[in-house]
Amino acid sequence: MPDPPTTLLQGTLDLLILKSLVAGELHGLGVSRRIEQITAGTFLVKPGSLFPALHRMEEEGWISAFWGDSENNRRAKYYRLTRAGQKQLEAETERWSRISWAITQALAAS
Amino acid sequence: MPFLSKTQSFFRNLFTTRRVDADLDEEVRSHLALLTDDNLRSGMSPVAAERAARLELGGIEQVKEQVREQRIGKWLNSFLADCRFAVRQLRKAPGFAVVAVLTLALGISINATMFTLVDAFVLSRPAVPDADRVAVITSVSPVQGFQSDATTVSVPNYLAWREAGQTFSEMAAADEFRSVNLASQGPAQVVHSAAVSANFFAVLGVAPELGRTFVNGEDQPGRHHVVVLSHDLWVHRFDSDASLLNGNRTIRINRESYSVIGVMPEKFRLLGYAAKLWMPLVLTEADKTRAAHKDRNLYLFTRLKPNVTLGQASAQFDALARQAGEAFPEAEKGWGAKVRTLPEFLVYTFGFRSGGAIMMSTAGFVLLIACANVSGLLLARAARRRKELGIRIALGAGRLRMIRQLLTENLILCLLGGGLGIVFAYWGLPFMRSGMNFNDAASSIPISLDWKVLCFALCITLLCALLCGLAPALNASRADINAALKDESRSASAGRSHTRLRTFMVAGQVTLALVLLVGTGLLLRAIGMIEHQDLGFRADNLLTAAVSLDEAHYKDAAQRSVFIQDMLGRLRQIPGAESVAAVSDLPATGPPRVTIQIMGQPELPANQSLNALDVVATTDYLQTAGIPLFRGRNFTELDNPTAPRVVLVNQQFVHRILKDQEPLGHHVRVDVAGAPPEWREIVGVVGDVKSYSEDSRLEPQVFEPFLQRPVSSFSFMLRSASDPDQLASALRGVVAQADPELPLDRVMSMQSVIANQRGGDQLFGGLLGGFAVLALLLAAIGIYGLVSYSVSQRTHEIGIRLAMGAEARAVLRMVLWQGAKISAAGAAVGLLLSLPLPKLFSSMFFSLNFREVRLFVAVPVVILLVAVLATYFPARRASSVDPMTALRQD
Repeated sequence: MPDPPTTLLQGTLDLLILKSLVAGELHGLGVSRRIEQITAGTFLVKPGSLFPALHRMEEEGWISAFWGDSENNRRAKYYRLTRAGQKQLEAETERWSRISWAITQALAAS
Repeated sequence: MPFLSKTQSFFRNLFTTRRVDADLDEEVRSHLALLTDDNLRSGMSPVAAERAARLELGGIEQVKEQVREQRIGKWLNSFLADCRFAVRQLRKAPGFAVVAVLTLALGISINATMFTLVDAFVLSRPAVPDADRVAVITSVSPVQGFQSDATTVSVPNYLAWREAGQTFSEMAAADEFRSVNLASQGPAQVVHSAAVSANFFAVLGVAPELGRTFVNGEDQPGRHHVVVLSHDLWVHRFDSDASLLNGNRTIRINRESYSVIGVMPEKFRLLGYAAKLWMPLVLTEADKTRAAHKDRNLYLFTRLKPNVTLGQASAQFDALARQAGEAFPEAEKGWGAKVRTLPEFLVYTFGFRSGGAIMMSTAGFVLLIACANVSGLLLARAARRRKELGIRIALGAGRLRMIRQLLTENLILCLLGGGLGIVFAYWGLPFMRSGMNFNDAASSIPISLDWKVLCFALCITLLCALLCGLAPALNASRADINAALKDESRSASAGRSHTRLRTFMVAGQVTLALVLLVGTGLLLRAIGMIEHQDLGFRADNLLTAAVSLDEAHYKDAAQRSVFIQDMLGRLRQIPGAESVAAVSDLPATGPPRVTIQIMGQPELPANQSLNALDVVATTDYLQTAGIPLFRGRNFTELDNPTAPRVVLVNQQFVHRILKDQEPLGHHVRVDVAGAPPEWREIVGVVGDVKSYSEDSRLEPQVFEPFLQRPVSSFSFMLRSASDPDQLASALRGVVAQADPELPLDRVMSMQSVIANQRGGDQLFGGLLGGFAVLALLLAAIGIYGLVSYSVSQRTHEIGIRLAMGAEARAVLRMVLWQGAKISAAGAAVGLLLSLPLPKLFSSMFFSLNFREVRLFVAVPVVILLVAVLATYFPARRASSVDPMTALRQD
């Protein structure tokens, strides 16, 4: 039995979405599937949190959107990383490694 | 550029909402399609595939709402949407909208109108740079009285204090209460003027519009024939003639030639002081003597040194006043000094604060009642909209979002009311202006709807929106979805919290209306009593005119005596003049107060000395004014300067000063400034006349014969058989014939003099009366609305009662009784709250009488009657419902 999907930490979703777009442009479902894949099924992002996050990040200027055709010829909205998004990803990655290192240290301490 | 991107998004979200939404819709739908495709590929049947996709998505509309919820500028978007929705809702219920908007407009307009007065009289600031650093020093009289802590200062004190400048840089003095005869260009005219020290304008820091102000030394005798005009006088009397300021042209003032050196700008106006021209204050040797300490007529103006506080300045002048009290106990004992900033001084002496506070709070009460009314309307409406709200909550609207939506609706309602209120207030302005015409000082102040009034109106509008809307909004959004959807109106009665709120509002309205009615009733009664009081003389058919004899022509007492004898002789010849007299102060217009001494009694220090009002009158005064002579004799022509000094006194004098001893034969010394103290024999006792027509006070009074002290300022009085105004032109003609350069001032009937004195009261009373009626009306409408709504809510319950066999009369009694109980509770609270009102008013309005017990019975009776009446009609409707219809109703 797989573990129930872990609740996302505040701010983690942005990082995951940015990361999922590094390899190239994706539509909403693609982002969701990609996150599921790269986290080995730990995180399932529901549309209810995915779309608000995508739109917010677009307003922030980290990602940009355009309409394109999907692999089975359906019109879909695609997202791609902007330069600002690239920078944001670096910053977020840096921050995340610090936190994760700190938390690991804290848990290792006896 | 994240910032740029955000700004772009903001405007895109705001202006292309439809496209943004269509885009979002398409995106979510395509997502659903992609999901379905995925599921199909994994081998599901088409139906199962779509179902699974929908389950995963979790509702297209909900997802879209979640996206919208965190968009940039979404608050503005949703606010605009709320506004559009609110306008639609209001248009659907025009009756409700009209009543609510009108009620609010009335409440807001009277508050805005009252605020124009507060703005003009309390908030306006003198056009003086850094006015808060200008200090005004006044004397504080040891005798308590109206503004006794803002009396004028004597010349010797001015001269002594001027030198003590530790806390202030320079001191100026002004005698604001002078008048001069102006006889250039046009008929002779009396003009209100002020005599000021040469540095007056410099201390205030105001510059003239034309020419210059006084320079040092121009207040010395011989150099003092210079004058500064007010803008108003320059425009209206001299046709804005700039050549007036040429050195070689002069104008005639008090029969002497003066050079006009400057014109002050229009905006230089000290609230309440209406000087039309300024002359140098010339001090004589007599002004510097010990005796001159009793002659107080100056206000002192200084600029405080930097870093000096008002408290430090006050301490210094307290000490100076104490020193004066020790050095000149006969005149200064017990007198103090008070330091105020210029704006504070002007507002205080204008004396609008108490009246303004009363009017503002009354208007505020009316507004509260109006808000309660609208709140009641909204509550009823909210209950009718429960199902709608229930559906919206079920569709995912949050509680806060619902409250915001309802508050937006109220805001729109209140803004409409506020806008209309401003229009009403604008229409009311001419009425206010005409009401303020009772004296020069008040009518010279512009009243307008300026930005401060508009801001105030906006603030109270927002406050109204909050007050009217919060209770219904909270109440409505608490609605239980299930109950609301299950057609809640079928249940027999409304929920408990609902009923409690309504009860509270009915009681609250009764309370507010009662306090307001008792308060205005007390004030109106007090004003009415004053208006109809017996003044002690006959004010009808009397023509009056003020005269000021100038020094140039009438320097000697003998000249003045000759003039008055001559004039009275001529005036008696006027056809229709029954009797003619001259008097220093018209009856009931507040004659000056002087200290007196009774022969044979010990001399008292200044702060305990006896005092009386002092009037100088000619022989026929008593007969002309219609004042009865009770004992002794009247003056005669034989009471001339060579005869023994005599006085008449009034009954109050006999009672309070002589303690009801035999008055005739007593000798009294009247200490008049500028005259040697002499003992005078009391030869007669006359009836009491009120000190002021707008006041109930009776005070000891002495009358001196004109021939023994011919004063230079006095009024003629002519009693006529018919309309006194018909004698006016004859009076003018006679005076012009005798002395063409002598102007007559304030030629009017005695009744007009009194009406002018009471002018402020009339406006005040009229406004208060209007507010009271409005409040009662609004409260009645409010109670009617709430009760009839609650009855309509209970139609089912009443139907059941009737169906079970209750009598219609019993139902009527029940509804009436419940309404009456609530109203009675409200009235009881109101009564309790209004108990301290007489005491409060007595402390605010000097010498008005507020003992009126009957009001405390009459007002509650009237209010309860109105409340019961407002309950009766809905109750009767309730008792006459047809049980079958009532039960079938949805």
